Amino acid sequence: MQKILIVEDDEKLRDELEIFLNNNGYQAESLKQFQNTIQEILNIAPNLILLDINLPEANGEFICKEIRKKSNVPIIIITSSDNEMDELLSINYGADHYITKPFNIQILLAKINSVLRRMNIGLAQDKIIAPDFTINLSKSTLIKEGKEIELTRNELKILKCLNEKRDKIVSREELMEYLWESESFIDDNTLTVNITRLRNKLEELNLKELLETRRGQGYILKISQ
Amino acid sequence: MKIKNFLKDKILQITLILFGLVTIEIFLLAYTTDNFIKLYIPITILSLYLISIFVEYMRKKKFYKTIYEVINELDEKYLISEVVDTPNFFDGKILMEIIKQLDKSMIENVNKYKYLMEDYKEYIEMWIHEIKLPIASGKMIVENNKTEATKSINEELDKIENYTEQALYYARSNTVEKDYYIRKCNLKELVNEAIRKNKKTLISEKISINSHDLDKTVNTDSKWLTFILNQIIQNSIKYRNKASKSEIEFYAEEGKENSILYIQDNGIGIEKSEVSRVFEKGFTGTNGRTTNKKSTGIGLYLCKKLGTKLGLGIELESTKKEGTLVKIVFPNNSYLNIKS
Repeated sequence: MQKILIVEDDEKLRDELEIFLNNNGYQAESLKQFQNTIQEILNIAPNLILLDINLPEANGEFICKEIRKKSNVPIIIITSSDNEMDELLSINYGADHYITKPFNIQILLAKINSVLRRMNIGLAQDKIIAPDFTINLSKSTLIKEGKEIELTRNELKILKCLNEKRDKIVSREELMEYLWESESFIDDNTLTVNITRLRNKLEELNLKELLETRRGQGYILKISQ
Repeated sequence: MKIKNFLKDKILQITLILFGLVTIEIFLLAYTTDNFIKLYIPITILSLYLISIFVEYMRKKKFYKTIYEVINELDEKYLISEVVDTPNFFDGKILMEIIKQLDKSMIENVNKYKYLMEDYKEYIEMWIHEIKLPIASGKMIVENNKTEATKSINEELDKIENYTEQALYYARSNTVEKDYYIRKCNLKELVNEAIRKNKKTLISEKISINSHDLDKTVNTDSKWLTFILNQIIQNSIKYRNKASKSEIEFYAEEGKENSILYIQDNGIGIEKSEVSRVFEKGFTGTNGRTTNKKSTGIGLYLCKKLGTKLGLGIELESTKKEGTLVKIVFPNNSYLNIKS
């Protein structure tokens, strides 16, 4: 499991972030005091760091710079300052992303995912292997037992989203927000059309029963028996 | 400075001199018979006096003329004491001295308010910095405890976030100093960012987005422009026509001198007589009063103000019941005419 370290001095935000990341398949830890921050971070050796800039007795930008000297760990800065100079400075000191509070939690999660995926090249970076099918992200295809079917951009994203929340109901709003996040500003009707097409494609691979519609609630991608 | 007014001012002096001359003449007539002396003394005195008055007049006239000319040309008239040389006559020196003292006291006074404003702006920025943290925490708590109630709280948090942002930009729009950075930005990215920011409402209110021809480069500050776009999108959402399917269209045209971004909605539109006033501070209009939307009359006012600072033109056209079109004009050479 990937370890994420939260370096943030606001207790409430820190705790909630920890819960959220733990719920989303990461092992989250956080620093409780900031005396010897740099050494502590290096001792914990996380896979990714979420770093606040304004910390008691330390400055995030400085920490970022010092850690970069010794480690290649991805760093995402989380701060209240939406000043472009701070952003520039942080990126120059080696931060991977710069997110301002109040942040959109889904964007943060997406950024964490993408940074970690890039760090773990070789770990199926362009393929999502589910128990009953494989998605080839770079070719945008759905594969089952050697049979390959092309997916459109939107179908690929819908399937990816449903697969990430396997066995949970995903509402139409959630699906749309997921698509909008990647700049496909589709409307309600288009979503229906896309889902129908995706269902047809799943049927071609005898996977039709995987995708169920829950009336008034959304869709669910079940785990095959 | 007219000679008549000058002489009027000297009336006492002239009367006394004439009186003196007449007295001397009476004495001369009584005690001497020499015609030469009878004429020479009064004429010499009179002409010397006239010369001295004339010289004085010319000096003063020159000085006051320059002062008037300079004061008419100067935009900041209080700088007069820096521009005009101190004259070499006494009351002119006094005048300049007084002007200098006035200037000094005025500048001190203005600086006091400048400082107070700067101080206030700093406080607002700090406050906004602080308030972002509880908003972020609140949103995280909602994310970890999803229910109908927290979803509704989240909507309120979004509103708080928007109002906070508006306050921040309001504070920024009023300062003299420059806190933006103009650089080349991709219009599509900025528009998408603003759409994404409002995606929750746009999706739940089933408003379609139609964006095309946006892949263009413009010179602007990305954060400020996103804020402006955000305000315009929120207006489109607020004043949508609930009777029909809402749509917002984004597209851009590239011209020789400028690029124009169009934002067209099919909302309830604005009364014709009110279109020209929408950028006024505090103007809410019929829509603001009748649609029960709690208009503040700040959004578009701020857009215009920030836009002007960035050197952008912001225009609005609207037809009642059909929709509103907002145009943002980006000059191609905006680095040449950015207003500081």
